[in-house]
Amino acid sequence: MTSLEDKFEESKKLGLQIAKESEDDRLMTLSVGPQHPGSGHFRFIIKVDGDYIVYCDPDPGYVHRGEEKMCEYRNVIQNIPHLERPVIHDSNNITYSYSLAVEELVGIEVPRRAQYIRALASELNRQVYTLYWLAIYGIFLGHSTMFMWPTGDRELLIDLLEVLTGARVTHAYNIPGGVRNDMPDGFKERCLRQVRYLQKRFKEYEDIFYNMPLFRQRTEGVAVLSKEDAIKLGVTGSVVRASGIPYDIRKAEPYDIYNEIDFKVQYMKTGDCFARSYVPFLDMKESCHIIEQLLDKMPQSGEVRAKLQPNPKGPPGEAYRRVESGRGALGYYVVSDGTPKPYRVKISVGSFRNMLALPYLLVGQKMGDMPATYWSLNYWPVEADR
Amino acid sequence: MTSAGNFIKAIESGSKHLVIKRFTFRYPEQKLKFVGDGYQFDPKRGVGIAGYRGRHILFHDKCTGCQLCAIACEGIAEAIGMVKVDESWKHNKKAIMPQIDFGKCVFCGLCVDACPFYALFMTNDYELSAFTKEHLIYTPAQLAIKPKYQGDVEIVIDGRGATHG
Repeated sequence: MTSLEDKFEESKKLGLQIAKESEDDRLMTLSVGPQHPGSGHFRFIIKVDGDYIVYCDPDPGYVHRGEEKMCEYRNVIQNIPHLERPVIHDSNNITYSYSLAVEELVGIEVPRRAQYIRALASELNRQVYTLYWLAIYGIFLGHSTMFMWPTGDRELLIDLLEVLTGARVTHAYNIPGGVRNDMPDGFKERCLRQVRYLQKRFKEYEDIFYNMPLFRQRTEGVAVLSKEDAIKLGVTGSVVRASGIPYDIRKAEPYDIYNEIDFKVQYMKTGDCFARSYVPFLDMKESCHIIEQLLDKMPQSGEVRAKLQPNPKGPPGEAYRRVESGRGALGYYVVSDGTPKPYRVKISVGSFRNMLALPYLLVGQKMGDMPATYWSLNYWPVEADR
Repeated sequence: MTSAGNFIKAIESGSKHLVIKRFTFRYPEQKLKFVGDGYQFDPKRGVGIAGYRGRHILFHDKCTGCQLCAIACEGIAEAIGMVKVDESWKHNKKAIMPQIDFGKCVFCGLCVDACPFYALFMTNDYELSAFTKEHLIYTPAQLAIKPKYQGDVEIVIDGRGATHG
């Protein structure tokens, strides 16, 4: 028989960090991830006292790919396919702000129709991301119907993006100077039909998930992030809107044509897990209205891509532009030294900011509330590691 | 509404789906319908033509061996290499044409954007599985073949829900 000490040594070797603090200590250290079925290449170390979490230490960095350094060795157009890898489910938004920043640096005038099309693609893609996130939130809480439904309905939007961009997830559609190709014939009708069907489905989502008393009991009043704390921690996106701050980049710093679009910033005041999970859903509903408006106001014809040299370059300078992605503000800081390759690219992602709130929210929670809290933060590990 | 009412509503909402046709379709027998013949690019207007970005198609009578597609791919996937071909074209003195390694290709289509001679397009063919890595490398002769792809399944939305009809 192996003794407990031997087992402990063995487990330490295996990397299962179920560390024993000391002989009579009541705290136990647990490592959640990186192969946890939901945490997704991300680990956080928690210490539990019985059922209560008393300490939490996030440990990101498992999928760091050096995207920022890679940008320095490629020209601005070659950067696009690898820049969308961190969030393949939201790849239009992650290249959107990059295109905006490069356009500012190089000094390109983007045609009006292109501005509408890429705003439309980014709205569709944000919904794709949110539905995927919602599916995982459902399965985190043991609601397998809520995993199947958004995964299936996501197909409708992926189908639209496939028709528009030519790829199902990694679109490589935004490019400095506009979009790669024009909308195909009959896209408007197809888009409206599928988005309207999705709006109908959202009512069923509310019935089966958001108004379900079991879901409410698991999320209401859990891990409350107050308005003041949200400002101090610097969280963005749906997390900050759930804490009662109506802050949306589309409204605060309107880019492209968003100042012509009439929409409300969706927010809630409670700041608990329910609000954090409901605000992205409200965003999706609002996004459907935005899509209808975009299709309505879009110029019927015109250029969609400004003429560019193969190696676009601008005068030395710097630019910082950000967009509202599925996870919050997503900004690119691009420095150019006058050559076709950027001198420095810094990606400021919403996921990383939201993850910073995790240690503050988890302490004092029960172990069972950990999945509900973690995934409500709208955190995408691969994006945070970049 | 009371919580019991919410439970009943949830069950009602879910049980409706027992009688609705399933959303998925039987893949190898049925295939999705695509719009157009694949992604193409018009160098004169400088803008692409919408279509699915699958396997490439190479037109030997147009390719001049200028290597622009290989240069475009250099920083992206390095999937395109120029190889010698046993053909003699007036416009292709060096007799080199692109060979694409689909084990590396990310299907971004920027090589199509780079081609100034309408020689390299993309098709609807996405079924590229092979037993070995070497079989994923498509020679210029393989790339010239027009894919036989016949899909007719589309998303149908009616009063009862959405299906792949």
